[in-house]
Amino acid sequence: MREKHKIIGSPVSRIEGHLKVTGKAAYAAEFSFPHLMYGFPVQSTITAGEIKSIDVIAAERSPGVLKIITHHNALKLMPRPPVTHANRMTRSNPVLQNTRIHCFGQYIGLVVAETYEQARFAARLVKVSYKTERPKIDFDENLKDAYKPEILNAGHPTDTSWGDLESGLKQSAEILSETYNTPIEQHNPMEPHATIAFFEGERLTVYESTQILGTTKEAIANTFNIPKENIQVLAPFIGGGFGSKLQPREHLMLTVMAAKMLNRPVKTAITRQMMQTNVGLRQHNRQKVRIGTEKDGKLLALSHEIVTHTSVDEEFIEQSGAISRMMYEVPNSLVTHRVFTTNIQVPRWTRAPGETPGSFALESAMDEMAHRLKIDPIEFRTKNEPSVNPENKKPWASRSVIECMRMGAEKFGWNMRNSEPMSTRNGRWLVGYGMASASRGAPCREASARVKITNSNKNIRARIELAATDIGTGSYTIIAQVAAERLGLPVEKIKVIIGDSDLPPTPGSGGSWGAGTYTNAVDAVCEKAKNELLGKSKIKFVNEPGITELMKAAALNEYQTEGSVKPSEESEKYSHFSFGAHFAEVWVDESLGIVKIPRFTSAIAAGTILNEKTARSQIISGVVWGIGQALTEESVLDKRYGNYVTRTFADYHVPVNLDIGNIEVYFLHEEDKTINRLGVKGVGELGITSVAATIANAIFNATGKRIRDLPITPDKLLL
Amino acid sequence: MRPFKYSRAEDVHSAIQKVAANPNAKFLAGGTNILDLMKEDVERPDELIDVTRLDLAGVKMSSIGVSKKSIAIGGLGKNSDTANHPLIRQNFPLLSQAILSGASAQIRNMATNGGNLNQRTRCSYFYDVSMPCNKREPGSGCSALEGINRMHAVFGWSKDCVAVHPSDMCVALVALDATVRVQGIEGKERSIPIIDYHRLPDNMPQIDNNLKQGELITAIDIPENNFAGNSYYLKIRDRASYAFALVSVAAGLEINGDSIQQARIAMGGVAHKPWRAAEAEKFLVGKTPTQENYKAAAEVEMRNADPLEHNKFKIELGKRAIVRALQLAISNNMS
Ligand SMILES: Cc1cc2nc3c(=O)[nH]c(=O)nc-3n(C[C@H](O)[C@H](O)[C@H](O)COP(=O)(O)OP(=O)(O)OC[C@H]3O[C@@H](n4cnc5c(N)ncnc54)[C@H](O)[C@@H]3O)c2cc1C
Ligand code: SF4
Repeated sequence: MREKHKIIGSPVSRIEGHLKVTGKAAYAAEFSFPHLMYGFPVQSTITAGEIKSIDVIAAERSPGVLKIITHHNALKLMPRPPVTHANRMTRSNPVLQNTRIHCFGQYIGLVVAETYEQARFAARLVKVSYKTERPKIDFDENLKDAYKPEILNAGHPTDTSWGDLESGLKQSAEILSETYNTPIEQHNPMEPHATIAFFEGERLTVYESTQILGTTKEAIANTFNIPKENIQVLAPFIGGGFGSKLQPREHLMLTVMAAKMLNRPVKTAITRQMMQTNVGLRQHNRQKVRIGTEKDGKLLALSHEIVTHTSVDEEFIEQSGAISRMMYEVPNSLVTHRVFTTNIQVPRWTRAPGETPGSFALESAMDEMAHRLKIDPIEFRTKNEPSVNPENKKPWASRSVIECMRMGAEKFGWNMRNSEPMSTRNGRWLVGYGMASASRGAPCREASARVKITNSNKNIRARIELAATDIGTGSYTIIAQVAAERLGLPVEKIKVIIGDSDLPPTPGSGGSWGAGTYTNAVDAVCEKAKNELLGKSKIKFVNEPGITELMKAAALNEYQTEGSVKPSEESEKYSHFSFGAHFAEVWVDESLGIVKIPRFTSAIAAGTILNEKTARSQIISGVVWGIGQALTEESVLDKRYGNYVTRTFADYHVPVNLDIGNIEVYFLHEEDKTINRLGVKGVGELGITSVAATIANAIFNATGKRIRDLPITPDKLLL
Repeated sequence: MRPFKYSRAEDVHSAIQKVAANPNAKFLAGGTNILDLMKEDVERPDELIDVTRLDLAGVKMSSIGVSKKSIAIGGLGKNSDTANHPLIRQNFPLLSQAILSGASAQIRNMATNGGNLNQRTRCSYFYDVSMPCNKREPGSGCSALEGINRMHAVFGWSKDCVAVHPSDMCVALVALDATVRVQGIEGKERSIPIIDYHRLPDNMPQIDNNLKQGELITAIDIPENNFAGNSYYLKIRDRASYAFALVSVAAGLEINGDSIQQARIAMGGVAHKPWRAAEAEKFLVGKTPTQENYKAAAEVEMRNADPLEHNKFKIELGKRAIVRALQLAISNNMS
């Protein structure tokens, strides 16, 4: 049995916080070098076709311009192998190698100039003529070409089924069959993507806003055919990623190419508009859900059939049906994914890929069914709680979703809800309550770390080094907390060095694995250091010694060791998910369709919470994006041209302060003994899961209107 | 951004002269619109004359006639100063509300009254230089007409342009019967009633308003009215703030006993210019201020609306917005 933690879990403020609020934390675009040049991409203004010619004469003559790189003069790069689940992030990403255009805004060149403004201006002077083809954009028009893909993102199976869905439906007393649409959504972390690259002889240094250092290095190596050892990727601070910074993007390859061709440092910082066109997006998912139940609410059948789009250039399909495979106990199940290709850019991981759109469909449908059955939504879910993971029959390492629903209900005041829609009013506002339960896979991966302990004048300090990233989540702080706890030092005595690919490797931050993966490696290496020092010590300790005693006993001024840890075989025998329950109160203006969400409550069970403050921020930010998904966010493309009509923040609406009411987050005490040493499950993506369903369910309770197509803008509530 | 010449005007006359002399010159006020458009390569002036140091910012009360008064707001007054000025809050709360419902506090602190009148449409095809747009490039075609036009006009559009004017402030100014005072090259001032200031697109959507090259907005005059206590600006948008209107309504009612003496209703987000709901106004005069009459007035007004593929909702929303704005004007409910 593990001892009770003192520092792990406590709401320590971010150790790098003062750097951030004083502007001293330097992000990728904020480093400066002598002779630094600026790159600005040239973008395709068509969506499908070929480049016929590019005229760079005027641009080349423009002041400050040093080079204009197009397919005419681009370096020859390594060809791109077919995409697989394993090589998606690391395979060669050859830019400017041909004249083919497969999506709007595709980079077709890079202007390099002495200043950013000069590069941007000259980029406009590049004249391109095209052979334009009719782009494939529209969902309904292209639906007929949907096919069954071999595999989904993260290796999820395309189709699963057990029992017999149709006969399950036939036996059912109550049947629901509805279709839900979640629109294209866009990535917009606070910090847009940026790169600085320079060569010193054979050695390449890259500052990149990336979630994963190792795969970025590999992708550059594979693209330019440079030995990995010659590349260093640095990312000390990252202003959010959400999946958009998992895969090394084309601006990075353009920048490295320019640095190589000109043998000078080059910086490329992409614009907000390019965030809409060049960093991936969440695809539109059309999701048909059928549910059959007995009279008492026991599920007999559940199907979740999804059609979505990918790019003509690469197949990527988020696992939107995965949540329906594991959430509820059901004897007859069918989950399928179909996909068709379009000239919309390649979709990419977008905070909780799969669960975010999938949970909207599943948890809305569950609410619809509960209403039909006249059963409380919590009771309906509780009735169908699976004892093991229905998909693979593995036992849950920990699953506290019922406890979350109970706790959330109590904190929120769920018992005040009137289950009859349109029954609560406040002046011209209709008031509604809604809930949904949430889950997100909790992966943990192999990682390594180094600890260096120094003793100078009896001042013992530790330095923790690993190739981790802090994408705004709080990695610096939780790493310091775990090291402090394990070494018996105060947090102030721990120095955390991350964001450098030369450090011991980790899988970076993504898929909610970052926190658990980093901290377990740090935990393991600190324990290793202590054991090694204990071995060197001649003293026999009665109580467990801290690092201070050990260094003294070993009479060392310096000690360092490195170690790695990977998921145990035991952990493979279990299913690992984080769980939660969300509750919302909404007010809907009956005649104008305006929605307000004065309060939102989340109860979360994610194993050991490493830091209550940063974990809370993760959940709150997930809820905020979930509110955006529910009410405002949608990318609209013009099917004739393939351009984004919502091309800036003026048209692509993320929620503003005034849209967000009071968000309360409660963490359940939960112990997960198998996932990893510290029992950490991760909270980065759980917060957004099922938020949109929670709000749609509350809107139904308020108005009696069931909106199945997000976002729920005022016009949809008028009729 | 294309290279351009910048100079700061020291006096009104030289500012006007410079812009009048160069067809590619523009005034620079708060810059919140013109600079954005230049960065997007939509506006391409080769010369900017910064007018922010000119003394045209105050809010002044003056007499027109014996008992009637009017208030003049300076062409270079900041939107936020104008909205928060005690004379405006007291006499024209409708204008305060309209200004404060637009943009963000930071932008309103920069934006000027003259600039607000001349801000350009937010049609996203207009902003995207890779797309056809008659307003940006006459003769290239209107992408929105058969494209995505959820945010576009339901009144007064032409086949050449279906854009809407984005201003909130101007909607209130129309309901308030303001006049725009402009000064031209000869030094003479002329006054343009606000309703005639902005244009419908017809076959020349590249021209937003009736200001001539080089003419400077020096002030906006707002005549006193009897409905300050019975007015309301309602803005409906996709999020709680910092978004342009789906539909907005500026409403003022002058009530005498049981009957409506005068009704002022203007709409935003529905046309190439702030839309005076003249039919609804006419309908209401002499009627009692009831929900039924408001509804009937809204029906009368929206009867003439001609929606596009994606903005049919604006008709129903427009009706409901008129009714709600009139209700709130009377109850003066600020919530
Ligand atoms: C993010 C964002 C959100 C916004 N949201 C809203 C909103 O919700 N509602 C709303 O109403 N507005 C909104 N605005 C628009 C804002 O109100 C205008 O940008 C602002 O009023 C323009 O004023 P300015 O002084 O900055 O004009 P500038 O940008 O300096 O100038 C605009 C134009 O007016 C001309 N001009 C300026 N002053 C004069 C003058 N005295 N005489 C003649 N011509 C002149 C200039 O030459 C230029 O062509 C928003 C703007 C932004 C950037
Ligand atoms: S509506 Fe007007 S501004 Fe928009 S694309 Fe058409 S012409 Fe251009």
